[in-house]
Amino acid sequence: MAGTAERMASNQKQVAISEFFEKNKHFLGFDSLPRSLITAVKEAVDNSLDACEEARILPEIKIQITKLDGKKDIIELRSEDNGPGIPKKSIEKVFGQLLFGSRFHAIRQSRGQQGIGITGVVMYCQLTTGRKTHVRSKIATETSAAIVDIGLDTRKNKATKSGEGRELWELPDGTLKEHGLEITAQMKAKYQRGRQSVYQYLRMTSIVNPHADITFIDPDGETHHWPRVTERLPRKVESIKPHPHGIHLGTLQRMCTESTDSRMTVFLRNNFSGVSSRAAKELLAAAEIEEKAKPKLLKADHYRALLEAFQGERMLNNKPVKLLNPPTNCLSPIEELLIKKGLSKTIDSRYVTTMTRAPTVTQGNPYQVEVGLIFGDGMAADKPVEVLRFANRVPLMYQQGGCLLTKAIESVDWRQYGLDQAGGRGVPKGPAAILVHLASTNVQFTSEAKEALADNAEVIDEVRKALLEMGRGLRKHLEKKKKMAKTQDKFELVNDIIPAIAEKAAAILDRPVPNLSGSITRIMGAVISEATTVWNKETKQTDVTITLFNYTTRARSYTLLASWPERAGATMVKNEQGGRKEASGVWAWKLDTLEPGQTITFTYSLTGLERGDWTDTDLFYRGSQEVIGASKMDEKLLEEIRRQEAAANGEDEPADDEPVDDGEEAEPTAAQGSEINADPPAKTGQQTLMGFGGDE
Amino acid sequence: MMSAMHTSEETKTALHAVVEEMYDKIVKGEPPTMTLPVRTKNNIGFDSKLGVYKYGKKRSTRDATSLGSAKQLLRALHVVEFIEEMIDAGKSSTLREMYYISEAWGLGKFSSQNESNNLAEDLEVVTKCMREDFKLRPEEDGARMIGNLTLRERNRRGEWMRINARDDVGDSGYGVPYNVEEEKIELLEHDINFIMAIETGGMFDRLIENGFDEDYKCGLLHLKGQPARSTRRIMKRMSEEWDLPVVVFLDGDPWSFRIFASIAYGAIKTAHISEYLATPSATYLGITADDIEAYDLPSDDLSTRDVDALKAELSDPRFADPWWQEQINMMLELGKKAEQQSLAKYGLDFVTDTYLPEKLADLGLA
Repeated sequence: MAGTAERMASNQKQVAISEFFEKNKHFLGFDSLPRSLITAVKEAVDNSLDACEEARILPEIKIQITKLDGKKDIIELRSEDNGPGIPKKSIEKVFGQLLFGSRFHAIRQSRGQQGIGITGVVMYCQLTTGRKTHVRSKIATETSAAIVDIGLDTRKNKATKSGEGRELWELPDGTLKEHGLEITAQMKAKYQRGRQSVYQYLRMTSIVNPHADITFIDPDGETHHWPRVTERLPRKVESIKPHPHGIHLGTLQRMCTESTDSRMTVFLRNNFSGVSSRAAKELLAAAEIEEKAKPKLLKADHYRALLEAFQGERMLNNKPVKLLNPPTNCLSPIEELLIKKGLSKTIDSRYVTTMTRAPTVTQGNPYQVEVGLIFGDGMAADKPVEVLRFANRVPLMYQQGGCLLTKAIESVDWRQYGLDQAGGRGVPKGPAAILVHLASTNVQFTSEAKEALADNAEVIDEVRKALLEMGRGLRKHLEKKKKMAKTQDKFELVNDIIPAIAEKAAAILDRPVPNLSGSITRIMGAVISEATTVWNKETKQTDVTITLFNYTTRARSYTLLASWPERAGATMVKNEQGGRKEASGVWAWKLDTLEPGQTITFTYSLTGLERGDWTDTDLFYRGSQEVIGASKMDEKLLEEIRRQEAAANGEDEPADDEPVDDGEEAEPTAAQGSEINADPPAKTGQQTLMGFGGDE
Repeated sequence: MMSAMHTSEETKTALHAVVEEMYDKIVKGEPPTMTLPVRTKNNIGFDSKLGVYKYGKKRSTRDATSLGSAKQLLRALHVVEFIEEMIDAGKSSTLREMYYISEAWGLGKFSSQNESNNLAEDLEVVTKCMREDFKLRPEEDGARMIGNLTLRERNRRGEWMRINARDDVGDSGYGVPYNVEEEKIELLEHDINFIMAIETGGMFDRLIENGFDEDYKCGLLHLKGQPARSTRRIMKRMSEEWDLPVVVFLDGDPWSFRIFASIAYGAIKTAHISEYLATPSATYLGITADDIEAYDLPSDDLSTRDVDALKAELSDPRFADPWWQEQINMMLELGKKAEQQSLAKYGLDFVTDTYLPEKLADLGLA
């Protein structure tokens, strides 16, 4: 397999590389001056993130753009990371050879998926300014950094180098850089603002790389910083063998001819994922190939037959051979909580919901869909929502309309979830941003430009499902907000306006201020609850205040229950009213009597959480009279939680069936249930952290 | 002549009744309320005793069970208090000033000027007092007037000034102040046979330049479009106190018909004080729908809005009489409207030499 890249590179060599570059610059992302700059930044950042990920380093990336000559559009790009660095002898290979790179042939999720990468930047710089790209690389085992200027011999597809040497890499604080890579490149390019800009690219990158710390100094000298929001590195991505469903004839043929396996059964089991020894035998039977046959010696007809068996076209006993799905641990989803943190970091808003679907397989390729939605103030309400598209953590910034991810968004009728959408089609309007991330070992793009994902009915459906579920969360949020606004109005009415009317009327008439309780009871006629959940900067705790008002003419008795993130590792402190644990994540207080006009307040704090982890406490009640601002406790749901809890305590794996989640979730109580039951993150099952905090 | 104005004590008592309604409800343990007549076309009817259109019996109650209407009540209380302060201090303010003053009213502040204007009208309707009783002035200015008529106006130093609206004024005429009640204006004497109210400034100036007021012994009044209250009020007073006919000379379009209706029968928005503002004896002189054809006037096609307005007028009780029904239907059939100044087609003097004399002769005024 190691020979592939070289062979492909040597094939390319036959065309003059510069001509190839010139002809294909739109595929390579260098077709316009603004885009060339974004592409250059993108290649540099992708390299840094990949290198850090492989070396298990938390990335710190600095990008600086300087205008050298405004009239001639000459720009200098400087990119610096804290990655492992590149050994001196490999620098020219990495920077000076097209299609080099270990990423090209290994089947696993990676950012670039092709080796054109940074070499393209080196070539572009050389072609547009005649300048070489300056590289400074420091690896941990050496004391000094290697420096070299890299250019490209376009005929030989080889690096040309000059100015080689070593130097001490001193940091602004006087210490020496431990490890990292710095690239300084001069190119003809244009810096632009807006939706397709370096700023937007870095902002999007920071959303899906919450473990990265990114700093950007723009040509005006302004510094933009997107801090790291998690110390957790993305899971190490495992390489997997190809799955029979995703193989092409040519690849199969090549694999066979290169194989040294003695017999087909062994070959199939060793080189493919999802093939058990039973399946290997069945595939061979279906393809009418002998089990003992030597892979090397297979005939052309055999390849085709085998491929047909792979794809279920040739059957055994009228049934396609059953294959296991490929393993999905090769994918590295961002995961809900981190998307949420990433989104909140770059867009200051009030409601965020995210959803990571379980990994699944299409055409033999494992993939996983993640979506996020942020809604609220600070975004234009009358414009289309911002669509943030990502493939394997790489922002997609062009060709939005032709992309599968956009089509999935457009296929949802967002009107039912509270966004404007003309005719229930197209990108909805509203103060929101929708994020869609596809992680896959083999992302299919519409073209080499790698800016839009190609249609695939299964993937669209998967994205749609995720969006629908997220949409339900949004609708619930909006409904709740509306309810809360109504309650707030009532409070303002009886606490502020009615007393003001009474006082003013009494003052004008020169009479005593009358007693208000009668009027207030008549106006409200209900028991009302209110919960506030706020982050306390001083104590680093989340403070919760719950108030219950009896605005009726009779004494009432209730059990009041509140949700809290027990499973996320929170501890309840300073709960002076006591109460008791009702179930996992549900606390209860019993109130024997709440007199007419009486108000009761409960306060407690939650420790063990970070800011933004828990922003919304849900209230429930048991009792005959409705409580505005709380939901009637669903006892069945409570049972379910207890059952799950017991199951979880009894064995390692949590109970296999999901809590009440009939896919409809129209009842707010059912929805609360799924929140309370949310599995801890990073399990493979479907997770529903919907509304896991959101409002503040 | 009955007076439109109330004494300060009467005004305060009427306002207190509004406050008492709220106070008493609270004492009874109920949400405070404010009861007022419904102010739409569906709730005006002809008062044969007064000869004008007034609000009917439909009433609505604004109660403090929702945040919006509770705030309205609180604002009403602030306005009442503000009016009392002005009465006691002998001041007045414009509606716009009141809107800005409400900035200091905290929860009771207005969120738009429209809101404060409406509330002032609400209070007029409920208390049967006038804006002038409340010391609230509108923004719009009153009309201009020219002709051989003499009145006394009390100026801001409290002195009475004798003004002849022909000899003591310039070409722009006598400016009608916002308050034309007896405490401010007295009508003394005149030597005119009728009053002519004119819609546009251009036509008003044309008649003055041509000396029409002297030739035909009339008082000319410039309405400035939909006439302000004080304009309608002074017309009414001159008509009643001097027993003079009033003729109204407007453009020939649906909106002019509405202006005439508000002059002669009372406006829907001010139906609570129609008897003080409306001049039931006023006559519509032109431009009529048949003038457009008879004089072959340059005209414009009716827009859809014009057509809708005409159709609405057909069901308006104020246009129920046969003459109006005929005019409206004729205009709909013609599909045309014409401006006053289209008469200039036949020269600058045509209006004063031919058109108006012919029209006035029909009425026996020339």
